[in-house]
Amino acid sequence: MTATREINSIVMAAGLAASLVLGTTFAFAGDVTLTMAVPDWPPTRIMKKFFDEQYKPKSGNTVKLQVDFIPWPDFYTRVNASLTSGEKKYNFIVSDSQWLGAFVEGGYFRKINDLLNADPEFMKTFKDIHPNALNSYSTYPHKSENYYGFPQFPDVLVNFARKDIICHEAEQKNFMAKFNQKLPCTSEELDAMTWDDFKNVGEFFRRKKGEMLAGKPAEDDFYGIAFQAGKSYDFSSMQINGFIWQMGGDIWDETQAPTSKAEGVVNSPAAVKALEKYLSLIAYMPPLAKTGTMDIFKSDELFRQGKVAMSVNWIGLAEASLDPKTSRVSDNLVFGMMPGTKGADGKLVRWSNIGGQPFVLTTWTTDAQIKEAVEFVKWWLSSNIQHQFAAAGGQSAIKSVYSDPKYVTYRPWNRAWAPSLDWQKDVWHVPQFFELLTQQQDQYDLAITGRQDAKTTQDNIAKFQQRLLKEVGLIQ
Amino acid sequence: MQLMSTIRSAKTAPALLELSADNWRLAVLVGLVVSALAVVTLPASGSFWVVGAMSALVAAAFAVNAYRRRYYGGLLVAPAIAVLFVMNIFPLLWSLGLSFFAYQSNLQSIRFVGLNNYIKVLTDEVAAPGNWSALINTAMFAVCTVSAQMIVGFLLAMLFAKQFPLRKYLLILVLTPMMLSVVASGVFFTYYYDPTFGILSYVINSVAGGQFIVMDSKAGAVAGIVFADAWMWSPFVMLLVLAGLVSVPKYLYEAAAIDRVSAWRRFWSITFPYIRGLLMLALLFRTIEAFKLADLVIVLTKGGNDTMTISYHLIRIANEQNKTSEGAAISYIILFIVIVLTNLYLYVANPKNREA
Repeated sequence: MTATREINSIVMAAGLAASLVLGTTFAFAGDVTLTMAVPDWPPTRIMKKFFDEQYKPKSGNTVKLQVDFIPWPDFYTRVNASLTSGEKKYNFIVSDSQWLGAFVEGGYFRKINDLLNADPEFMKTFKDIHPNALNSYSTYPHKSENYYGFPQFPDVLVNFARKDIICHEAEQKNFMAKFNQKLPCTSEELDAMTWDDFKNVGEFFRRKKGEMLAGKPAEDDFYGIAFQAGKSYDFSSMQINGFIWQMGGDIWDETQAPTSKAEGVVNSPAAVKALEKYLSLIAYMPPLAKTGTMDIFKSDELFRQGKVAMSVNWIGLAEASLDPKTSRVSDNLVFGMMPGTKGADGKLVRWSNIGGQPFVLTTWTTDAQIKEAVEFVKWWLSSNIQHQFAAAGGQSAIKSVYSDPKYVTYRPWNRAWAPSLDWQKDVWHVPQFFELLTQQQDQYDLAITGRQDAKTTQDNIAKFQQRLLKEVGLIQ
Repeated sequence: MQLMSTIRSAKTAPALLELSADNWRLAVLVGLVVSALAVVTLPASGSFWVVGAMSALVAAAFAVNAYRRRYYGGLLVAPAIAVLFVMNIFPLLWSLGLSFFAYQSNLQSIRFVGLNNYIKVLTDEVAAPGNWSALINTAMFAVCTVSAQMIVGFLLAMLFAKQFPLRKYLLILVLTPMMLSVVASGVFFTYYYDPTFGILSYVINSVAGGQFIVMDSKAGAVAGIVFADAWMWSPFVMLLVLAGLVSVPKYLYEAAAIDRVSAWRRFWSITFPYIRGLLMLALLFRTIEAFKLADLVIVLTKGGNDTMTISYHLIRIANEQNKTSEGAAISYIILFIVIVLTNLYLYVANPKNREA
């Protein structure tokens, strides 16, 4: 009896020890953990919050979304290191659309065509994504039928402006006297702005400390306009591409590879003229722009600190400008579409470089994880959740969602969202993206800091791209 | 008989093909053959572990051999050598090997290209100008930052070698920048130099009028980086020089005072010989660090205004663009330059060479 009890207690103790040891290593069969690498900012925080509060898997399994929130400046480095080191840590990765080529060719990002084909409901939702967003966030080769990503946070450039300054009676009167046109004040008037109008605003609102600004002496030096003109990452290319497309130029067209050329296109007279136009506006921006460090975060900070009247920036950064805790101008804002260029027919051409990010599945994700991942993505892209996301400050690229009349009421910039989507293009998705980008950013920095003219800049970029892309067989 | 056997095993090495735990020659031979076969026949993920196992086998044979032949000195340093090999020498050799291949970490294809990477980074029409420009900038930063740190650090040491009120507290204050993280200092200087929010522009604009932007030219950007670097690292030079200064015996100064020796002669003949070695050490450390200058540049200019350094350039090539092999080649060129400079310094610092 004693011996039996002893054996039982040993077995129980061993079982307990084993369960303690193994419990930390192995999950129960019904537990699925999806690990995700995301940039640390509100759109991803909101997604995690919604998941924790609302997501109930249809399978009945316990699904955990384990999210690594990585600060933006380190995001690419961390994701790149994780993927190339072979640690196979993440099932989902929020990826800039331009990274698709580099990581698809490396065998890291999973093609999702089979998942879409197997689920008509999923395919229907997927096809409801705006074609410009779908092409940018999901296709590789660009605009092909090979799909890889789902929109996490789609984004476009819009015009942020201060009503207290631009709608002030005295400023309106003086602007009219100087330029013989009305100083744009309402959202609709902002929508109708060209880059020449934007320049006029820049020229008009250059005020020294103590000079009159909107009826009172300026507390500090004040500037009319701001947009991205920074050397790091893509903080000038994203803006300059819009100028180039609007003015009839183009970047190297990867969809026509290998017959498309870089030389003759990238440095075409239209592209050079577009860069000249972009550079001509730098003079009216806060002096930081002349140092080549005016990235999207700096231009956003200057706007929120009340140093500029108008700023073109991503919607993703706009939420902070509405919050009185982080913005000195929170109660005086008006938003419009990014300025355009008048076409031959007199209508505004509004091409712009799309922002935002898709999230993608990785190739080592197991079947059980994929099953749950698909359910999670379907839930995320469902109308109800997308509406909630937009109401919390996010954006949706799903047509049925952003076409809903409610959509424009969520945030003041949402009225510019749908019409802007129609004018979005994307930069290259090829694996050589980073080489192309860093060389281009270096060249644009030389132009922005006044060390090189527009023609030399576009010539150097074209020459580099022609050589590199020829070397890798993307140009014949 | 047993004693004879012990003596034999302690003295005589086993024959090449004798199966014995201390037969390191056989272990090396087997290791080389098996590793070569594994590299040729197995995929990289498999051959890596086979080569690793063979290395462990050879190391074990060496250890047993050392134990049986009573090379206890060798055995005692073996763990340190093993750590050095795993953490330092192996990665160095691995990256050296990579520099002879065309390898991109995100594409996972590899092919032997010999010296092509070295030729490309030094002579290629597209790749080389950026490398040369970054190397020249690095040399310029090395001269400017090290000179500034040596001068300021030396003067601070001369100051703190004397006793004066609040010396202890001021010393702690002066040492503080060295203890801060480079990123924190960099962000601080970003705002310090900022033309809209920064105090520097504010003060100069108030005095001189106009719009002062320190970072809008190459000279300004370089000066800004050099100043920030000197602010952080002059205290390091100061600490080393101060250690030399306090080690000078007082009786030498007393004897010099009796002989009415001039202040300059006192410095040159008594003080300087005591601090020369430490100054050279500071020079060496700071020059090596100057070749690695990247963090401050990233935070302050992102390499803009022609301030790109070779280390930052290397980060972009190897980490951002995933051109691993090209990055390895550039690393070895930097290593070569630093080794040459280091030896040059050591040669100059050695009094025997100077006398010869």
